Amino acid sequence: MKQTFNHFQFLLVLFSVFLLLPLAGCWSSHEIEEQSFGVGVAYDKGKESLAEKEFDEQGEGYTKKNLITSTYQLITPQVASSTTKQGGQQQKSYVNISETGDSPFQMLRELSLRSDTPLTSPHMKVMVISEALARAYSLEQLVDQTLRDNDFRPSCLVFISKGRASDTLESKTVGEIPAFHLYGMIDNSYRTTRILPPMPLIKLASKIQTGSSFLMQNVLSANGEIKFAGAGIIKGETSKMIGFLNEEELDGLAWITGKGKGGLVKSFDKKTGQLIVYEIESMKSHIQPHVKGDNISFDVHIESVGRLSESWMTSGSAFNNQFLKNAQKTSEKKVKHLVTNVLEKMQTKYKVDVAGFGNQLRIKQPRTWMRVKENWDQTFSEVPINYDVKLTIKDYGASGSKK
Amino acid sequence: MIKGSESEVMINSKDRITTPQTAIVVINFILGTGILTLPRTAAEQVKTPDVWLTVILGGIVTMIAAIIMVKLSRKFPGKTFYQYSKEITGKWLSKLISLLMIGYFLLLGGFHARSLAEVTGYLLLEGTPTWAIIMPFMWISLYLIRGGINPIARLFEIIFPITVILFLLVAFMSIKIFEIDNLRPVLGSGVLPVLKGVKTTALAFTGPEIMLIILAFMKEPHKAGKAALVGITIPIFIYVITVVMVIGALSIDGVVIRTWPTLDLIRSFELTGLIFERFDSLLLVVWIMQMFASFTINHYAASLGLSQLFQKNIHPFMYGLLPVIYLISMIPKNINDVFKLGDVIGNIALVLFGFLPLLLLIISKIKGVKYETNL
Repeated sequence: MKQTFNHFQFLLVLFSVFLLLPLAGCWSSHEIEEQSFGVGVAYDKGKESLAEKEFDEQGEGYTKKNLITSTYQLITPQVASSTTKQGGQQQKSYVNISETGDSPFQMLRELSLRSDTPLTSPHMKVMVISEALARAYSLEQLVDQTLRDNDFRPSCLVFISKGRASDTLESKTVGEIPAFHLYGMIDNSYRTTRILPPMPLIKLASKIQTGSSFLMQNVLSANGEIKFAGAGIIKGETSKMIGFLNEEELDGLAWITGKGKGGLVKSFDKKTGQLIVYEIESMKSHIQPHVKGDNISFDVHIESVGRLSESWMTSGSAFNNQFLKNAQKTSEKKVKHLVTNVLEKMQTKYKVDVAGFGNQLRIKQPRTWMRVKENWDQTFSEVPINYDVKLTIKDYGASGSKK
Repeated sequence: MIKGSESEVMINSKDRITTPQTAIVVINFILGTGILTLPRTAAEQVKTPDVWLTVILGGIVTMIAAIIMVKLSRKFPGKTFYQYSKEITGKWLSKLISLLMIGYFLLLGGFHARSLAEVTGYLLLEGTPTWAIIMPFMWISLYLIRGGINPIARLFEIIFPITVILFLLVAFMSIKIFEIDNLRPVLGSGVLPVLKGVKTTALAFTGPEIMLIILAFMKEPHKAGKAALVGITIPIFIYVITVVMVIGALSIDGVVIRTWPTLDLIRSFELTGLIFERFDSLLLVVWIMQMFASFTINHYAASLGLSQLFQKNIHPFMYGLLPVIYLISMIPKNINDVFKLGDVIGNIALVLFGFLPLLLLIISKIKGVKYETNL
């Protein structure tokens, strides 16, 4: 009897050893050198690329409407290996591939019919949507697939482009990957008030759900270069784009929200017409809603501390407080002008609230908000807004007086 | 195996756990699927940013239920619920209640296994069949519970600090996308919405019911109440942090549309400059460990129940329940069924562990205190 028991034990051990083998395996693994990583995607109005046109002419396609062209920026294994090799011929470090169709997901899968290294999207950094498309389709529908996907991370940043979105994913600089360029530029917000807080997909989804209007950073492209220029306005009710704010209007907006981290105010002295530049060190704004019956109004208190960073004034000494006060006044006036300008644009031209007045009303007067939120953009366009601006010039750098 | 009077079944002097171990078992049993879905389920009910208040209230409600269960069990030292219930309700009714409880643990076990398979199948192991995810999970659990309550408690002691440290790390990393405005106004629509969600959040704290069973294993049963309270307090902190961070990033309107909001939170930011840019895997590691812990307890509690009910050796029941739990985990046809199963289990818990222990406590009080003096 003892003998059989040992046999049994032996078999059990053998079986366990075999069980150990699959432990080292991976069920559905894909080798990393056989994949191309998507790092950026651009959505445009449908316009087939040359290759696609010829494919279509030869027939044997599938039923689709050419509504959307999506351009994927890929880092393929070939590209990755050639850029790491030293001394080889200089070439682009990315591959852009376009696909036209009506479903972003189907277009993505169609790529597998054209490439031996199919696209994987866990490293998608940016998504650029063209103005034309954003005006025609609701953003909610455009990003639906990406928000469901398990690979596509909700941390991907979303931008609007006034021109063709696919152009923003092109670069002339050797070795540069445009998607990373775009992704990195958003970090410069400590230097200018013209960059909006980043808008990852998840925030976009939340913004769309709240039903209030919002802004998205606009990217321009020209001659293989890109630039952040103002912002696209997305109307809350439709989640479609309705217009733009330019760079100065973004400045004004940053002053209203107080969310700017750095930047400057350029103004001209009233008497001499000379340049004065105030550099923002910190800004704070306080939006106070007032509700009296059916009348809503807002008070905006803007405060900022900064430095006199450039002055073309030929006379006057910064060692003298009177001079600083004068510079302060000039800059304050400019800020007021910026604020007036953007309020005018929001209330009169577009009739949308993208500065978060509604949000402050929601926080401070929740009951009123419940009453007005359905038609807030319309209500907002007629609401009186008072504001005051207080700048403090703390210092003036290394040079004080002139002659 | 131990034979003899039934109170000796499975409970020998070595198989005892300390008070901190008891608290940790409760904590590990509470934390489960809820941590990934609670922000959504609670926000659906409350609809204002006051969800975190609801979570605290839910925790307090659970504490009351836990104290009642501890009080009940303290009346019968050294005996699990399966053993002492007949002294209150009589043989047949007690058998029925015990069977219901066993059914509850099995359902919950199946639910845990399935949620685990759903999440890992979606994010981590795309393409791996569900059975290949669930089965190793169940076998390892079997291996653990064969050793009795002591190895379980000791494993939990290892899991617990890892969970807390990694979870806090990951949660606070998400500060990058946190916006305080999403959590304001506090009580903007009054207290009513807060109360509306209490049932949902209280059910996220199901777990202290294990006190009905493990109190019998405690070295110092008189500290059971303290263990239960600590065991609930720590999950309250973890849940509140989760809810605050998730709603702070996604806002109330954004959170209700996401299937797994907590996972979305972690997937929505990247930090450059650290060793890791992404923290999803850290959260998943912690979560899978917690799911394993919860599952193990379910499996053990159900097996122990059957063994004490039929006064038989526990091991055959442990093996025998494996296929049962597996089949239960396969019942839901789609993800909505999974969530529905979760709701059903919640409602069962409400009756079995919310109302029943109170009722039994009252009955036993009326029947007199002879069990205590018997000692």
